[in-house]
Amino acid sequence: MRDLNLSLNQTQRVRLEAALHELQSLVPAAASAAAVTVADTIPVNQEDNILKYISLSQENTIQEDTISLFVCADELVWCRGHGTSDQDGEVVATLCGVVERVNKLVYVRTLRARYKPEVGDIIVGRVIEIAPKRWRLEINFSQDAVLMLSSMNLPDGIQRRRTAVDELNMRSIFVENDVICVSTILALSVEVDNCFIFCFSDFKSVFAYVVVLTHADTLRVINHQAEVRGFQHDGSLHLQARSEKYGKLERGQLLMVPPYLVKRKKQHFHNLAQYDVDLILGCNGFIWVGEHVLVGENVKTTEDRQKYSNEAENFTPLETRKHICRLANAIRVLSALGFTLTVELIIETAEASVSSNVEVNDMLGAEFYVQTAEREAKRRAALLRKKKGGR
Amino acid sequence: MEYVNPLTGFRVDGRRPNEMRQLKAEVGVVARADGSALFEMGNTRVIAAVYGPREIQNKGQQVNNKEALVRCEYRMAEFSTGDRRRKPKGDRRSTEISLVIRQTMEASILTDLMPRSQIDIFVQVLQADGGTRSACINAATLALADAGIPMRDIVTSCSAGYLCSTPLLDLNYVEDSAGGPDVTVGILAKMDKVTLLQMDAKLPMDTFESVMGLAIEGCKAIATYIREVLLENTKRLEYQRG
Amino acid sequence: MVGLSEGEKHFIRGGIAQDIRTDGRKRLQFRALSVETGVIPQANGSARVRLGATEIIASVKAELGKPSILHPDKGKVSIFVDCSPTAEPTFEGRGSEELSTELAVALQRCLLGGKSGAGAAIDLSSLIVVDGKVCWDLYIDGLVVSSDGNLLDALAAAIKVALSDTGIPKVNVSLSAANDEEPEVDVSDEEFLQFDTSSVPVIITLTKVGRHYIVDATSEEESQMSSAVSVSVNRHGQICGLTKRGGAGLDPSVIFDMISVAKHVSQQFIGVLDSEIAAAEAEADE
Repeated sequence: MRDLNLSLNQTQRVRLEAALHELQSLVPAAASAAAVTVADTIPVNQEDNILKYISLSQENTIQEDTISLFVCADELVWCRGHGTSDQDGEVVATLCGVVERVNKLVYVRTLRARYKPEVGDIIVGRVIEIAPKRWRLEINFSQDAVLMLSSMNLPDGIQRRRTAVDELNMRSIFVENDVICVSTILALSVEVDNCFIFCFSDFKSVFAYVVVLTHADTLRVINHQAEVRGFQHDGSLHLQARSEKYGKLERGQLLMVPPYLVKRKKQHFHNLAQYDVDLILGCNGFIWVGEHVLVGENVKTTEDRQKYSNEAENFTPLETRKHICRLANAIRVLSALGFTLTVELIIETAEASVSSNVEVNDMLGAEFYVQTAEREAKRRAALLRKKKGGR
Repeated sequence: MEYVNPLTGFRVDGRRPNEMRQLKAEVGVVARADGSALFEMGNTRVIAAVYGPREIQNKGQQVNNKEALVRCEYRMAEFSTGDRRRKPKGDRRSTEISLVIRQTMEASILTDLMPRSQIDIFVQVLQADGGTRSACINAATLALADAGIPMRDIVTSCSAGYLCSTPLLDLNYVEDSAGGPDVTVGILAKMDKVTLLQMDAKLPMDTFESVMGLAIEGCKAIATYIREVLLENTKRLEYQRG
Repeated sequence: MVGLSEGEKHFIRGGIAQDIRTDGRKRLQFRALSVETGVIPQANGSARVRLGATEIIASVKAELGKPSILHPDKGKVSIFVDCSPTAEPTFEGRGSEELSTELAVALQRCLLGGKSGAGAAIDLSSLIVVDGKVCWDLYIDGLVVSSDGNLLDALAAAIKVALSDTGIPKVNVSLSAANDEEPEVDVSDEEFLQFDTSSVPVIITLTKVGRHYIVDATSEEESQMSSAVSVSVNRHGQICGLTKRGGAGLDPSVIFDMISVAKHVSQQFIGVLDSEIAAAEAEADE
């Protein structure tokens, strides 16, 4: 209960405990046994394993003619991933989280932590600074990310080389404090020696399980190091905003939730037509709830800014605003309860508040908080029953 | 004054010589911080908040761009001690403790995993009743773990003293100001290594060894408690997440 | 404090104009208030108040001292505010000095009245022990643990709650002391006099955004303000102090309007605060 400080009366406390207890019982015992804290030993099985390393081409795609395989001797074992370290031959956790094992890769998945960028994520960021030919954005990562002018669609939509005039006009595209929606670029610029991209193969097909780790992660396997070519050496995260959908976000509010609550899915842009609202779930935990904007109007020029001087006519209509506030409050309640945020759940919570006649502001109150917890417990129990019954 | 009752062996507050005060820890008390924790050892209450890793604010402070910059500030509330402190920050004791906490945590944080970033640790003392620097280090460990910052090991700290010919664990303010020696120890719990050792006053060598051994045992007990708290917290976040 | 884009500012202004703010509150609605007393056992009185995400801890310590020569029949009260860097990284080092001083001065003006001591909300003559020789010095400390706007109102509320939790020890003065000698005082450990806080005011800050006023602004809304007026009102609806912050000039009629709105809102707020204090005391007694 971090963000909302609520004083629950006795009955509410009891109901909340019951709901949380039910949620706890729905989790399989093995999952909770996998939780670790710092300096815990992670049990690994010593098995034979064969790894293949693939060196990368310039564009970071794996092409046949540039693959150079070498099979390393089967000395070890497990691949140690993020959140682990080697101490006296034991694998020890360096973070608090849950141990995940995927295909012989062992790593610790953190819960509350800063955003960890992955390839192709949709994220929402805030412009901090305008530098030569680039914008610096705050994205809840350990460093600021960079959006190059060349990675941005020009206002006139023409694909051409960026000129000096474009550079001077950067301010007409984005200024400081603007909120923009971008995607992580397909090639991470990382430091040599620190980025490892590898594939596991079962000898029948190159099953491209690609695990890309940012420059900060060290995935060391038995002292072998993959060759990494063609990357920049400054170690920063580069972004791109090339499609029509990406761009400046206005007329709405930005919410910040812990990144682990936003699951990576196929769709992160959601146009909720029934409310006339755009909902963007950034993988970095920045969530935008705003008025629906037609695609193509995203890159505004200075003339449009003067529209704000006739403000009163230009405000968001009251109905839409109510919907925006309801959805935003639903997100606040769900993130305070620690539930994973999906569009369906957010809409369901907002609808439930309407049907229970809860005032928009009362959604942040104790009663709705407890009701949401109870509702979620029932929903998950029903889902589990369906799964079990379906088999 | 009788710090250890010769008949019963109890101390001023009713504890035995090798008994620690009541511990209480809570994670996530400051909503806005990346990680935060409240730690209590008896009547000593401390809040630690961690902001980071985030972009370096002041490039001039960056010494090594392959590692994260760790910064720490220690502050006491004006009402934290029995007599009001007129200058809660900037005095020499605060500066020294800030440095001590920073060095101790730096030994454990895997700074090379987060180059070109900074980690800020802020510690605020709400109530001081002896053992404040130990409570601060313990709170900082919890806050760093809450923030998801990779660490080599759990760092814990505890103090011990020697009064009335008895080694005493976890001195409170009254015992601390009795004029006897005060040994503060900080360890990396699992690796069993000492990262912080401070002592004032005089002690003969063998007595020192027993006092230090007592303090290390106290640290290990605190580490077990902290580990439980963190594990409980992680499990709770995981099942709530669904 | 993160900046806001033009679009977000526009949205906030629109919300205030349409009477539905970003979290759904109305213009004159406060956030959820929660109160706890006795959080600092070694102080004479203490409280922790949470108003939304803003969290304040206030403590009251009483020490024996000498009254000032100008006012031999009055005790002394001083208010200090400290903003902890745990609330904001920018508060570290000396970053919070300006803000702390501004808040402390505003609180002093609202709660302690003018230099002559006139109009103080706390009855200073109740703090005297021996005229001209011994009096109680009250030190009120406010600590900002978490900050999300409206610090002044939260501080004033925390101080009011802390004062209601304060017990001044009873003092027995030995009567045998000669006139120019220091009298002997015996501070009782058992008996306490509860402080009378019925006339302690609360502060309501009205932030003007566009053409409308809002109460209990979050830090995002505060960044939008053109000016703010903080009015200190007590239970009887009397104004105990007034501060205007912010650069924009205000028409006098607007100020009068804001004062009357503040009076109206304050009565509700005092009601809520009193019931919270009663609930906290009931819990403490359990």
